[in-house]
Amino acid sequence: MSFTIAKSGEVTLVEVEGQLIVGNRQELKQRVLDELDHGERHFLIDFARTGYIDSSGLGVLVSLSKKIRELGGELRLANLNDDLRTLFELTKLDTLFQIADTRERALESF
Amino acid sequence: MSGLRDVFVAFHSACKCPVSLWREDAAGIACLAHDGDVTPDVPPPGVRAATATEWKSRGGDARLVAPVEGVSGTWLVVGPHKGARAQLDAFIELLTPVVRQSMSATKELEQAARELAERYEEINLLYTINEILGRTVALDEAAQIILRELLDTVGARRGALLVHDIAGAQLVAVATAGIDDRELPPIPLDDPRSVAGRVFTSHQALIAGRDKPGSESEGPVRRGEMLAVPILWTAPGGGDQPPLGVVVLSDRKARTPFSAGDQKLVTAVATQIGTAIQNARLVRDSLLQERLQHEMALAHDLQMKMLPDPSIVAPIAEVGARVAPAEDVGGDFYNLFRLGPNRSGAMVGDVSSHGYRAALIMALAMSAATIHAPRTADPGEVLQLMFAALDEELERTEMYLSVFYGVVDRRAQTLRWANAGHPHAFIVDEDGEAERLPALDPPLGMGETFPRSKTRPWGSGKHLLLLFTDGISDARDRKDRRFGEEMVLELVRKHRKRAVDEIVDEVFGAVAKHVGRVPSRDDRTLLILRS
Repeated sequence: MSFTIAKSGEVTLVEVEGQLIVGNRQELKQRVLDELDHGERHFLIDFARTGYIDSSGLGVLVSLSKKIRELGGELRLANLNDDLRTLFELTKLDTLFQIADTRERALESF
Repeated sequence: MSGLRDVFVAFHSACKCPVSLWREDAAGIACLAHDGDVTPDVPPPGVRAATATEWKSRGGDARLVAPVEGVSGTWLVVGPHKGARAQLDAFIELLTPVVRQSMSATKELEQAARELAERYEEINLLYTINEILGRTVALDEAAQIILRELLDTVGARRGALLVHDIAGAQLVAVATAGIDDRELPPIPLDDPRSVAGRVFTSHQALIAGRDKPGSESEGPVRRGEMLAVPILWTAPGGGDQPPLGVVVLSDRKARTPFSAGDQKLVTAVATQIGTAIQNARLVRDSLLQERLQHEMALAHDLQMKMLPDPSIVAPIAEVGARVAPAEDVGGDFYNLFRLGPNRSGAMVGDVSSHGYRAALIMALAMSAATIHAPRTADPGEVLQLMFAALDEELERTEMYLSVFYGVVDRRAQTLRWANAGHPHAFIVDEDGEAERLPALDPPLGMGETFPRSKTRPWGSGKHLLLLFTDGISDARDRKDRRFGEEMVLELVRKHRKRAVDEIVDEVFGAVAKHVGRVPSRDDRTLLILRS
């Protein structure tokens, strides 16, 4: 499990490899909050290499989304696999996030 | 001096001249050895001179009193003898090296005996410390006794056992001797004049001389020279560990300086103290852990008692339900309501995360549901009222709650339900067909939400309302394979005609078989209702 942070123009790209679960959610949160502290405001989390998100992982995404919005920024998600897409739909979380099929489409819409 | 006596007897026999040896000290003059049974006359002060001096006996025969070279305050007396002075001088010359060597050997023997006694004293101290540490876990009390014993053995009047206070970056006295505890303030580690601070930082023992100034904070324990030794310990895995504290001793009774032997002894004792401190901390942590586990077990019992008995909805509905928390307490729950002669309500909730914080949200959710569900006909409205009660706590803890609430009216043959983000809610009909009751709204706590309700037909006695949390469908085996939602549905379809609590047993049994000994990482809840 690891997180990679890169830049694409004004957008901070976060890649989640493996799982986003109770054991690593705080690390993701801290790394995104650090970027927020450094003035970054546009974030895209790419789940292309993510197999599973548990309920606490979903919680941290919502928490980050709120914090980023409060500071005038925006959080988008991309590349959810079928299972994760279904999870977002079943829990109606798809109504709370902007979710793109690919990273490129997500970047275009910022 | 028995060896010297034998020499004197042999000398007397051979030379026909008596001989005796005398020593003068603060207590007076005493005969150390002589050749006969009767103590000879005491040589008077006048003849106990720095050079050989004649001393006439009452019979007129000459005696010679000569100081023993290299052994101050000691005189050898030969005579009375009829021989000339030269003869007596020769006797003195003959006997002096023998006496000097004998006395030197005696002195070395006495020194060795004294050192042996000191070692015995030190061994006794180490045994005493072992006994003290072996019978107590009250470190403060043990430290006080050990410090007193140590001071007695080393011969110091003042001392302190200082322990590292990590948060305050200072050394704090847990035992003092020769001073009042209140006199010794904490010693900051960054005080450059502090001897204890330097010893703690360098991990090296130190004897600070009288001329070396100390810090103001350790002034009360410092009188003249100070011996300071780090309290070291070695973790089971080895590695360089910071000291646990410092032992300082000062105000030596004998005016001799602290020796390397003293330093070695205190170092040995400090190592034992270090081990004792670690043991005491481990015991304290273990007791704390034990108490925590006991309290968590009580919390588990309390939480289980909050869940209603399925019989409260009988005979309107037949319910099988079970919650298995991942830890002692968890965030999953179910609730049941009897809402009149034909209606019954069933709720399943899943607080994100688990453990005691989730358990707190669970308890609040249960309370809010119990208050609002009997008073409000519409499930969506119940969830709204629950959200209003929980909003602040969910916001503060960054948690959210997915919850399904359905009300079955067996007379009207309807199910009215609201679903805030709960993914696993189904109706299984008499033919085994499963229909998902999807979330109509996001989970509570994920923003402003006003849960809605929906109504669908209900087959009284034919339909099963199946609710479970993701701890069931996401249960993993040792190869990290999920149990899966479809497996739950298949089991319920297969056993749909049986009593609902038997179906619950079947599902939990299959999950247990699937996961084997892999520990559960999420709470597991399953509820099945037939009405």
